[in-house]
Amino acid sequence: MTLITLARLFARRAGGDPSTIVLPAVAFAVVTLCTTIVTGGVFAFFTFGGPNGSTYRMLALLALVLLVIPLASLGGAAARLAARRRDERLSSLRLLGASAGVVSALTVLESTAVALGGAVVGAVASLGALPLFGLLHFDGRALGAAIWPPAWVFVAVIAAVALLSAASAALGLRAVVLTPLGVRTRVVSARVKWIRAVIGLAVLIVAVAVSSSLNALAAVGGLVLVVAVLLTGFGAVLAMLGLVGPLVLRGFGRRWLRRASAPAQLIAARTVLDDAKAAWRQVGALAMVSFVGVFTGIGVAFTQATGDEDVATRLLAADIRTGVLLTLVMSFAMVACAIGVNQAAGILDRRALYVSLDRIGMPIAVMDSARRRAVLGPLLVVTIGSTVCAGLVLFPLTGYTLLLQPVGLAIIAGCIALGIGLVWGGLVATEPVLKRVVSAGVPDPA
Amino acid sequence: MESMQTLIEARSLFKDFGPTRALRGVDLTISAGESVAIMGPSGSGKTTLLHCLAGIETPGAGQVLFHHVGAVVDVAALSDRRRSELRRTAFGFVFQQGLLLPELTAAENVALPLLLLGRSRADAVAEASRLLALLGIGDKAESRIGELSGGQQQRVAIARAQAAQPAVVFADEPTGALDSVTSAEVMTALLASTVGSGRALIVVTHDAGVAARCDRTLHMGDGTIAETTGAAAPRVGEAS
Repeated sequence: MTLITLARLFARRAGGDPSTIVLPAVAFAVVTLCTTIVTGGVFAFFTFGGPNGSTYRMLALLALVLLVIPLASLGGAAARLAARRRDERLSSLRLLGASAGVVSALTVLESTAVALGGAVVGAVASLGALPLFGLLHFDGRALGAAIWPPAWVFVAVIAAVALLSAASAALGLRAVVLTPLGVRTRVVSARVKWIRAVIGLAVLIVAVAVSSSLNALAAVGGLVLVVAVLLTGFGAVLAMLGLVGPLVLRGFGRRWLRRASAPAQLIAARTVLDDAKAAWRQVGALAMVSFVGVFTGIGVAFTQATGDEDVATRLLAADIRTGVLLTLVMSFAMVACAIGVNQAAGILDRRALYVSLDRIGMPIAVMDSARRRAVLGPLLVVTIGSTVCAGLVLFPLTGYTLLLQPVGLAIIAGCIALGIGLVWGGLVATEPVLKRVVSAGVPDPA
Repeated sequence: MESMQTLIEARSLFKDFGPTRALRGVDLTISAGESVAIMGPSGSGKTTLLHCLAGIETPGAGQVLFHHVGAVVDVAALSDRRRSELRRTAFGFVFQQGLLLPELTAAENVALPLLLLGRSRADAVAEASRLLALLGIGDKAESRIGELSGGQQQRVAIARAQAAQPAVVFADEPTGALDSVTSAEVMTALLASTVGSGRALIVVTHDAGVAARCDRTLHMGDGTIAETTGAAAPRVGEAS
């Protein structure tokens, strides 16, 4: 039996839930679309000259850093779901005489094909979206044709998405081969060690110390060194959040568990506590984005409220706000997609469990509520927590700006609310998957 | 047996899955406090029969009458929501592989049906711990499911099945994934917690040893009850 014959059989036997192809394909398309637009934006900002040119370039790189994590998280989620489709068909193909190596190759091939399809759709969509983003005004003029990245960027992004999917599928296969049952029923809950808090604090202290010496650095190494240090500092703070975030979520999970009275609340709290790191991975990308969004939002609103700056500075402030809003919305959109994809994968993984819960009389609404709470709880902690932190850091300015420029802050708050709505939409989008799984039941031997 | 009250009656049950006829006019009566094993080769219709009796599947034709609290309910005629409610309040289930929520502790898994019925969490968990203790795993109440052996997981599932004090417990291959010694222990626990407490037990099994411990064994073949064996006599209306 040739690889091609098996590949055809593999594709034909897919049947089942179309969401397992459509969701990752859409997610790959969104990843490609966002990556292309962001890269285009970076290219456009690098064409800027004038006194603020270097600032624009730095801001573009900052936005890129902020968007890398949600992009990677979405790409990883899509790749995992694409690879997961293999599970139910693996045994059939083995029975037909395919070796484990051939089946693994087919799985990687199929996941890559889904990624490639989605990426091409995303690239085509970006051809339509880039002119729209070109209408955005920065530095007093429309981005226009400057937002179009070179052709090789499209090819590189498509190739990178396909490679990411192939690597994730291969790694996923290895994990299932190594611990087929351990993946299914976690023996012990994932531990979150307190050493993370200590490391996180150390990183924060170093980041603050370095940022306070930026003037000295600029004198020694110029702007390039300052930008490099800033980006490294940003990455360090992101890493610090990754260390501390799960601890914070675990604290909230314990609180939710103590207060849980309904089944959905209990299951959601236990889900967060069971793997706080996984809960953080789903929403953590929004911590930094929300913080930066609110931080810069307050700063910009303050600048506009005081009205004693020159035209160039006011223009820059307005541009920063536009950039922040774009980054916020794109981050939330990607996280919403990643959550939708992760949830769909989770439902398919736990198909038999959901069917059994339906059989013991648990309403689907309760199962859905548990899923929603397990995501929205951490999401609200992360976004509201980051928002409050940013507000506290700039405390005197926050109050002043709230009084003098409430609209500016309301726009940022509206964007965050819209983002939470997008994530909620991502969760709602997977409800039909759960309903289909429950109504289809599991194959019975007799 | 004659003094027992009728609990579930199946009348002329037919069920098709596409072109395949899974049940062909099955008649069956099960009494309160009775244990009934359903055996048969794969594809004989035993799980389909169990699902129809439990309101998981609706038969294409025929009735499933459930006698409960002085009333008779046609299970097959109920809406999805009402059948789900019936399964929550009056039926218990034990599956082949426990199918417990891995995030929850053993006690929380057992408490789940009670929480669904609106009981307070403290009450539900206390009752769950009591049931686990009765089944000999009281010390595992706070353990996570992944920390328990297969036999212990099935005991948790048995405790969960009886938490809401159902009139009947449906078990689908409850010992299918266990070794023979653990299988015997689990069956003892299952019988004690159901028939021993006046509940009916309907168990689908491939294991003749499990079937031998039930009052009756229905042997299914080609969608019908081909033969009834065991200590109890065939009920009125059943094929024999």
